[in-house]
Amino acid sequence: MTKAVRRFLPVVVIAAAVVFPFMAGPYPLAVAQSVLISMALAVSWDMLLRSGQISFGIAGFFGIGAYGAALTTLKLSASPIISILLAGACSAAVAFMLGFVILRLRKVYFAITTLALAEIFQVIIHNWGDFTGGPEGIVLPSLIFNGDARSLYWLALASVLLACALSALFQRSRLRFALTAVRNNEVSARSSGIAIFSYLMIAFVTTSFLQGIIGGIHVQIYGYASPDSVFDANYTLLPLAMALLGGTYSTPGPVLGAVLLGVASEYLKLKIPYGHLVVYGIIIVLVILLLPAGLYGQYRKRVKARAAHA
Amino acid sequence: MRVVVTRSIARPGRTWQPVLLIALTVIGTAAISVWKPTALVYGVQRAGLYAAVAIPMALILGIVHIVNLAHGELMMVAAYLSYFAARLLGLDPFVSLVPVAVVMAIFGLLVYLLTVKHALKAPELNQLILTFGLAIALSQTVNLMFTSQSWKLSLGYVSASATVGDVSFGVFDFVYVAAAIALAAGLQLFLKRTRMGKAALAVGQNPRGAAIVGIDVGKTYAFVFALAVGLVGGVGSLFLAKQAIFPMVGGPYTMKSFCLVAMAGVGNIVGILYCSLALGLAESIIDGIRGYAGWSNMVFFVIIIATILVRSWRERKV
Repeated sequence: MTKAVRRFLPVVVIAAAVVFPFMAGPYPLAVAQSVLISMALAVSWDMLLRSGQISFGIAGFFGIGAYGAALTTLKLSASPIISILLAGACSAAVAFMLGFVILRLRKVYFAITTLALAEIFQVIIHNWGDFTGGPEGIVLPSLIFNGDARSLYWLALASVLLACALSALFQRSRLRFALTAVRNNEVSARSSGIAIFSYLMIAFVTTSFLQGIIGGIHVQIYGYASPDSVFDANYTLLPLAMALLGGTYSTPGPVLGAVLLGVASEYLKLKIPYGHLVVYGIIIVLVILLLPAGLYGQYRKRVKARAAHA
Repeated sequence: MRVVVTRSIARPGRTWQPVLLIALTVIGTAAISVWKPTALVYGVQRAGLYAAVAIPMALILGIVHIVNLAHGELMMVAAYLSYFAARLLGLDPFVSLVPVAVVMAIFGLLVYLLTVKHALKAPELNQLILTFGLAIALSQTVNLMFTSQSWKLSLGYVSASATVGDVSFGVFDFVYVAAAIALAAGLQLFLKRTRMGKAALAVGQNPRGAAIVGIDVGKTYAFVFALAVGLVGGVGSLFLAKQAIFPMVGGPYTMKSFCLVAMAGVGNIVGILYCSLALGLAESIIDGIRGYAGWSNMVFFVIIIATILVRSWRERKV
């Protein structure tokens, strides 16, 4: 791929994504919208993974965002867009406070603790009935944009663009070097004077902010939040599998993976309504064993090899 | 840095002591404030189940150095096997325990040979994601085949109860306590007394050194993995006798097992018994407080955070 193509490809893809609603019927539009939500989550998950910390807690921050948006709409009668931003702020604030403790954990400990987070948040929301509506959940009085399918799609697209923009910012700033150094060798990163904790905190709070925003958008689109629906483990599983298949440590990887797996899963959902998630588990296993760099990573490797050869 | 490393190797099993002290103090005060003798009994029984599930995970982590996030799911699969043995062949879970354990050991060996074996040299994160994928694949396959409906055997003997003074409680769950103690004792004997066990211990401490003195590291890994899956399979059979089973039933046990293993310190099997006791008692006491029953799931989260914090605090002091 030449340099010109590489520069224009994102523009073309974004333009195609923006005009997509004018060409597609209601069903493809609904599918695309749910793929976009998972895509944004996949990109946000990858952003934290670049620091070598694997989070199994996407659903947790997604759920906090969902409840943040629902509660601010109901109790503060915030407008939908404001409530989505407040949802991001809620998630970021929770991540910031928890960060002081859990960012001291590494690898397995971090992973398991984040896995537990989603469940913990769910327990809190479930049991704090007076404030959160308890197990029955919350129903919003009205949908954002009065439920207009195209506007909802663009809203989901906006979350993807925001995630990709932040991800690109991560890749172009010194954050990238700091996070990569932490991932490769924390001791040598520390001895090179990198303020590891601060960088991890930035990454953790940013990704949680994104996941909160996405949760907020989800709740505004569907107008409903319950502990079982928004803390569903699928919100961890799908983005994770998408990012892995597409290729981690990059922005295009998770996007590519989300398109492939999202469309495939929609097809499978029609064929096998229960248990189509087994495919995600199998894909995760196969990718780790056979294609650890993912599709985009494999492509980058090949480009690099060709460049070295020439 | 060096001092820290030597210290943690020299005293691998001591990390749980301060945590346990804190936990027991908290539990003590809670117990006094809401004195319920049954909470203590049920806490001990719950601890037995936790320990019985956690000990095989400790075996894999201590020797193969893999965090198996599919651990609880393997127990779930075994429980389903045992369920079908009961429904189709009329076998009592206590009878099908042995064949289920054997089948699960073979299944574990297959899982090891097909997946885990190829990720032994991969970065730790890849191993984690791999076993996470396995967990999803297992639970969703069961979901696909048997739906998410929960199933339960209704066996008469599980509702056996005893009365001490004016307190009466179920006694069946002491089976789990017995199983946990038997597992801990059996593994200690196996690792310290048998040739295979000693080899496994050596591989766990230093695979390269073990290879140099002529131990087949690959075979040992395969054997230990299969053994652990077989053991958790047996526990799954016992699990079925009392509990309802559904595809997602294993997940919490994976997390709690890991929490216990981390708390006890890798390689400390007896420590798991004490740590389970603390977790089980704490949970059952919170369950016993009226209006707060739903919060008991938070206990293990608090414990794992406390464990890690205490550990990092101790290391910094050195």
